[in-house]
Amino acid sequence: MAALPRRIIKETQRLMQEPVPGISAVPDDSNARYFHVIVTGPEDSPFEGGLFKLELFLPEDYPMSAPKVRFITKIYHPNIDRLGRICLDILKDKWSPALQIRTVLLSIQALLSAPNPDDPLANDVAELWKVNESEAIRNAKEWTRRYAMDN
Amino acid sequence: MSHHERVQEELEALEAILMDDISISYNEIGCAELVKSTIFPSTANEVEKQYVCVTLEVKLPENYPDCKPVVKLKSPRGLDDSTIDHLYREINKKCDEFLGQPVIFELIDLIRENLTESNLPTCQCAVCLYGFSEGDSFTKTQCFHYFHNYCLANHLIITSKHFNEEQDKLPAWKRSPEGFRATCPVCRELINCDVDELKTAMPPKDLENAQKFEVTHELKLLQQEMQQLFNYQKSRGGIIDIEAEENKLLLITNSNEDSAADNSGDPGTSLSNTISSSSVSDGVQNRNQRHYSNYSSHR
Repeated sequence: MAALPRRIIKETQRLMQEPVPGISAVPDDSNARYFHVIVTGPEDSPFEGGLFKLELFLPEDYPMSAPKVRFITKIYHPNIDRLGRICLDILKDKWSPALQIRTVLLSIQALLSAPNPDDPLANDVAELWKVNESEAIRNAKEWTRRYAMDN
Repeated sequence: MSHHERVQEELEALEAILMDDISISYNEIGCAELVKSTIFPSTANEVEKQYVCVTLEVKLPENYPDCKPVVKLKSPRGLDDSTIDHLYREINKKCDEFLGQPVIFELIDLIRENLTESNLPTCQCAVCLYGFSEGDSFTKTQCFHYFHNYCLANHLIITSKHFNEEQDKLPAWKRSPEGFRATCPVCRELINCDVDELKTAMPPKDLENAQKFEVTHELKLLQQEMQQLFNYQKSRGGIIDIEAEENKLLLITNSNEDSAADNSGDPGTSLSNTISSSSVSDGVQNRNQRHYSNYSSHR
């Protein structure tokens, strides 16, 4: 495997030294391009109190290409599908090399505060979010309580 | 002479010297409230060589100049926090020294002098996250953002490649008539640059000297915490089972294909698409490889 680009080293060091509140990202033992991530559910959102595990992978040509990110913990959200895949423009065509691991994870946390059922990835969830928002929020809270708690 | 007249005299002098480079706002009774000026280093009017700038905002309290004005530095370009802090300290000193006398031109002069002395961006390149050293070739965009030529060239080569790949997928009438247009990685403004020239640049010096990555004890502890959370959530059925979900997806996709065979233009999240695009993660020997192949199928 080719040497780890300096930028990845620098980002990793900064994530350790100046962690973002509510977010932790730790590189894997055997692969420094693979990060174990925890995002806490934002206050005043149905995901409040939850600790969501994600995986983040930096592809070969990072930062020229976006990191690949996926939820590992189950989550009830209109822009996240059953496989944990996330619908977020900066992970696709709006990626820029000026974005970083920390900014990507902050954007994902912000997505939890602002679900967008008009641009759905999980169709059934988005549908309910539109026709019966209070029930959808109840489901999201229930999933958070059931799946995303710490010991 | 009243406060008002003294301030008026100072501002008239400023306008005479700086002309369009200064803007003054007045309150409803005609007293000057706010003076703004964007300051560049002195480079004998060679705009190309101005690598840094900052906007000075001076708020004038009623009793100015008998009391100190409120000074703010806004929209710094090419300047890091420590340089800005240093400027604020100098500004404070100057304001103390000139209490009771006109100080705005002194401030402008002070800032310009400082910028001229350090007319090399002290911020980091947003692409590699390393600084600019003497001898590095770098670009200042029209929007005042800075990149090593080496880094900017890489960005432009890849984004134009992605752009062209996306265009090739579109029918002719949907393609962009302008072709690829370079944008700034930081603010997405359009920028003009010559990739062929940029890519001849050497890699930045800081990048070459950066230290190596090591797994620290602290890191080990964090890894353990992550693992504990994972195990706990798994025991409660909270972890997504990719294989089981994919099998469900396969059933859904198959039944969709039966009923909507004419929808072949957009394969969506079908499994065949997932498999064919797994080459994205080729060469990456990772135990999570199977998971990543899923991403590329969704748009």
